[in-house]
Amino acid sequence: MQSAVDLARSGLPPRMRRRAQRRAAPWLVAAAIFVSLLALLPLAFIIWIAVQTGWETVSALVFRPRVGELVVNTGLLVLLAVPIAITLSVTLAWLTERSNLPGARLWSWLCVAPLAIPAFVHSYAWITMVPGLHGLWAGVLVSVIAYFPFLYLPVSAALRRLDPALEDAAAALGLGPWRVFWRVVLPQLRLAICGGSLLVGLHLLAEYGLYVFIRFDTFTTAIVDQFQSTFNGPAANMLAGVLVTCCFVLLGLEVLVRGEERYARVGSGAARYQQRMNLSRATLPSLLLLVVTTLLALGVPFVTIGRWLIAGGADVWRLDEIGLALGQTLFLSLAGALLATVAAMPMAWISIRAPGPLQRLLEGCNYIVGSLPGVVIALALVTITVRIAMPLYQTLFTILVAYSLMFLPRALVSLRASIAQAPVELERAAASLGRRPLNALWSTTIRLSAPGAAAGMALVALGIMNELTATQMLAPNGTRTLAMAFWSYSGEIDYASAAPYAFIMVAMSLPLTWLLYVQSKRMAGR
Amino acid sequence: MKSPFLALASVAALAISLAAGPATAEDAGIIVYNAQHESLAKEWAEGFTRDTGIKVTLRNGGDSDFSNQIVAEGASSPADVFLTENSPAMVLVENAGLFAPVDADTLAQVPRDYQAASAKWVGVAARSTVFAYNTTKLKADQLPKSMLDLADPSWKGRWAASPSGADFQAIVSALLQLKGEAATADWLKAMKENFTAYKGNSTVMKAVNAGEIEGGLIYHYYYFGDQAKTGENSKNVALHYFKNQDPGAFVSVSGGGVLASSKHPKEAQAFLKWVTGKGGQEILKNGTSFEYAVGKGADSNPKLVPLADLQAPKVDATTLNSKKVTDLMTAAGLL
Amino acid sequence: MSFLELGNLHKHYGPVAALAGVDLNVASGSRTAIVGPSGCGKTTLLRLIAGFEAPDQGRIVLDGQVLANGGAAVPAHRRGIGVVAQDGALFPHLTISDNIGFGMGRDDDRRAERIVELAYIVGLDKAILKRRPHELSGGQQQRVALARAMAMKPRLMLLDEPFSALDTGLRASMRKAVAELLEAAGITTILVTHDQAEALSFASQVAVMRDGKFSQVGTPRELYLKPKDRMIAEFLGDAIILPASISGGFANSPLGRIAVDTSDSRDIARIMLRPEQIGLKRTSREGMSGTPDMLFGEVTESEFAGSTCTIAVRLLNNADPPDAAAIGNTPLILRKSGMDAPAVGEIVRLTVSGKAHVFA
Repeated sequence: MQSAVDLARSGLPPRMRRRAQRRAAPWLVAAAIFVSLLALLPLAFIIWIAVQTGWETVSALVFRPRVGELVVNTGLLVLLAVPIAITLSVTLAWLTERSNLPGARLWSWLCVAPLAIPAFVHSYAWITMVPGLHGLWAGVLVSVIAYFPFLYLPVSAALRRLDPALEDAAAALGLGPWRVFWRVVLPQLRLAICGGSLLVGLHLLAEYGLYVFIRFDTFTTAIVDQFQSTFNGPAANMLAGVLVTCCFVLLGLEVLVRGEERYARVGSGAARYQQRMNLSRATLPSLLLLVVTTLLALGVPFVTIGRWLIAGGADVWRLDEIGLALGQTLFLSLAGALLATVAAMPMAWISIRAPGPLQRLLEGCNYIVGSLPGVVIALALVTITVRIAMPLYQTLFTILVAYSLMFLPRALVSLRASIAQAPVELERAAASLGRRPLNALWSTTIRLSAPGAAAGMALVALGIMNELTATQMLAPNGTRTLAMAFWSYSGEIDYASAAPYAFIMVAMSLPLTWLLYVQSKRMAGR
Repeated sequence: MKSPFLALASVAALAISLAAGPATAEDAGIIVYNAQHESLAKEWAEGFTRDTGIKVTLRNGGDSDFSNQIVAEGASSPADVFLTENSPAMVLVENAGLFAPVDADTLAQVPRDYQAASAKWVGVAARSTVFAYNTTKLKADQLPKSMLDLADPSWKGRWAASPSGADFQAIVSALLQLKGEAATADWLKAMKENFTAYKGNSTVMKAVNAGEIEGGLIYHYYYFGDQAKTGENSKNVALHYFKNQDPGAFVSVSGGGVLASSKHPKEAQAFLKWVTGKGGQEILKNGTSFEYAVGKGADSNPKLVPLADLQAPKVDATTLNSKKVTDLMTAAGLL
Repeated sequence: MSFLELGNLHKHYGPVAALAGVDLNVASGSRTAIVGPSGCGKTTLLRLIAGFEAPDQGRIVLDGQVLANGGAAVPAHRRGIGVVAQDGALFPHLTISDNIGFGMGRDDDRRAERIVELAYIVGLDKAILKRRPHELSGGQQQRVALARAMAMKPRLMLLDEPFSALDTGLRASMRKAVAELLEAAGITTILVTHDQAEALSFASQVAVMRDGKFSQVGTPRELYLKPKDRMIAEFLGDAIILPASISGGFANSPLGRIAVDTSDSRDIARIMLRPEQIGLKRTSREGMSGTPDMLFGEVTESEFAGSTCTIAVRLLNNADPPDAAAIGNTPLILRKSGMDAPAVGEIVRLTVSGKAHVFA
């Protein structure tokens, strides 16, 4: 389950706003405003429910020991897992980018590959390997393993971009390698670490399946429990309110820690090629760390899936059922990705071509909603459609809207980066050659930003493919995606029947993850 | 795509296909909100379609979310039939006045004990509460005499349940009817101290089997289902039936009903009739569900302890209060 | 006695030899410039001296302390050598004040005081100490980098093309200011640059580097006027290179009889003149007659560029050179003051001042 702000957000250079201010076409602004208002719907909904429920009930539902337990659980999880993930990712990124570790390129890919495995499949693998695994530390372990690539990606990209001259300068000023790392390298990774940590933190808050397997209660699992017991009762919605508050706390913390800094390279000369540090005696322990990480993050899931596939034999390949689930998943992923990309286009265009306070506000709305857990968005849409838009209830339309809201930031970031690279002059040239505005936009900017749009779509599709909670709550009757089928079989402890679904999800996600990896390399200029 | 208009057209086409999606599903037959085990409902649906040619679309979920969902959907619910694992969910929908009366010939197929007095829904299967225990950790003389004993501090940290599941909530609703609100609230409070929560009865049994925990409150058929497969998750497990009209000997009736808002009432009634009839009940006997058959003259799987020998407490299924149960469990911090 | 000694330094990157045997002696308190085209290995040499990399072979000795001997090298942070990089390499996450104080102990009581003092020395306003590097101009950044390097009182200062990112006007004044500053502080300095004018004006010793070796080391004057070969000559400035026969301290060349800086005798030699040694005087075709020992030319091109004017002069009469074909009618390219340059078509008389340099 991967709602949330995009990876690339933390990998992008500070906003590209060099172009002169320009007025955007009114219909574009209108479209952007419409999308943003739609995005705010779930948030508005939670507030509305709280107001409707009345303070007394709200406080009774929010200020009770169970919520306290969940706050402690969720808080501890974030407080433990995020620092561990930071330490691990920074170490791995340094080893793969800045040391002479044998096979660094291969290792760097292997550090990203765990993203191809849905978090709940990680958990499924672990519970198979270590049946009694449960509780906080199990949650921390599996969370770190499933989500550290979200930190590894931006941190390694930032490391690649660092100007080695700074480290030389610090060494010349009398600092040993360790102190250089602490005082020069690490501070410059702050933006990447902040962005990555936020992403990991939001995923920890939003994840459901992972924690169910290892019996660790968080807000999200509790909301789903309430949903399963009472459908859209006030208790579920109030828990969702608390969860949203937690998300805001994380977002605020990130802004606070990140500050207003930009660590752009000062000066103009080309950065020197970075030197890789000779690990010499540390080579073996370093390799060991990578081997262990890879074994835990890739070995465990692959061995488990393989084991269940062998145990299940040919029987578990119910081809008609699998084919149907695969077709539905592909359809939902592609349609959702298309919708999200189309919805992101006006916003992306405005943010590059006509930036301003309004645009920043609108963009902010999208990011905030993108950082809300899928369960919250789904709960809001269920209630809204049931109460006031019944014809849309349980339709493909609603689930695709939910996907778009959840994954819009992914599409937005990719689009924005690629529109920034399409010179506005072309658009004007097309207009001067007699094309009408929409046509001019289409034949220049949209065409040129197609690769970025495709990358964004791939990211959205990756998210949808592995989405579980929102899909279960919103999907039309008869829908059964790969993730749903996997979840249903593993819920009945039929791990062998679940294995083909896990296998297909991973197999389809791997190329998309590869794309992500290549893109992050390219952004760092290499 | 050569022009923006083609692109817009394709988006529009997509939108139309979205709108068309649910419509085609409706035309194709009946929609069943199925809270029963997917595999069982699938066998029923396939059998029914084979015999009648009427297509069945299943939406799978749980008792509680579906019953609440149907209430929220009200008259515009897309569902035609509602199948549950336990009675409280049926009661909730019945009290909201959303069920159509069940056809008389369907009711005639099921003993009165297993149908609502109001004739708004009918039992389709039944399951018995059991205490599944690890045979290496517990001896027969160490077993609890009553489910209420599990509230005793001596049981702290030794037993498990799946409190978010409707199965367990049905057991609590029986307790509520048998012992009253105060006793139930106390028991739940003690439970919060003593028990370990798992998600799903299968998971509870798996944990018992692995010796993670000594025993767990679940329904009987999880054990038989696993035994019929590989027994991998139940080889160290035995079932303890409380009997003696204990709350823990509660037999829960799985219900089926036709929604008053159904646009295909005839087909929906036919489905219910088929499920409670020979075809549906035979599947219970011969299939892998191991739930009890409830049809008149229908036999359950011979491997099961006969329904009549369970000494279940007398519980009026039509007054089981699921709302009160979730409130009490929420108050006890179990949800 | 020399303060820094480089002995036979070698450094390879894969199959590419960046340094192929470098020797250099630098006197205490002096300024040395290492100049060469890009890719000649000068930056590599600087990195070896700074300790960012270790040589494959050779020795580096600073003030009697062996810093590198073959692969064994003292790491950069224990060398006490200041480095100012091309773009300053300021730490973007620190204020100017913290940048300058970076190398000082953090619990140094006089830290704040010294930062202000250093800022003053390099000519920075106190007000900018609280700012961040990206808020400063290129020249200011370089001053900060210099102050930061001086803060640790280095034994040796390495400047890696520190002025190349600056505007032309600023470059000259910065260069002068830095030279004076380091002189006053008594810090031995090595400057690496690809700009020959910068090298010649900055240093007391200039080393010309090519293909990983020094091809010539000497004072700026020596190098400019007596380059070892044609390439050095042309690298350090415009050169007029002529075939000639030499004997008795004079050369017989296409430009006539010219005094040379050697007393050798050779039938075939090459001599070099700097264009500024050739003087032009306006005359006319009539003025040419009856003066066979004088040298005349016709201006064939003239390109005005403000303060200077580049003109091409085709020699008209030719006092019987040894291999006239070699020079043929190739015009001489001269740079003259823009104020009073002859126009195309004018006839000029050419005179040579000073001695021509004879290549060995």
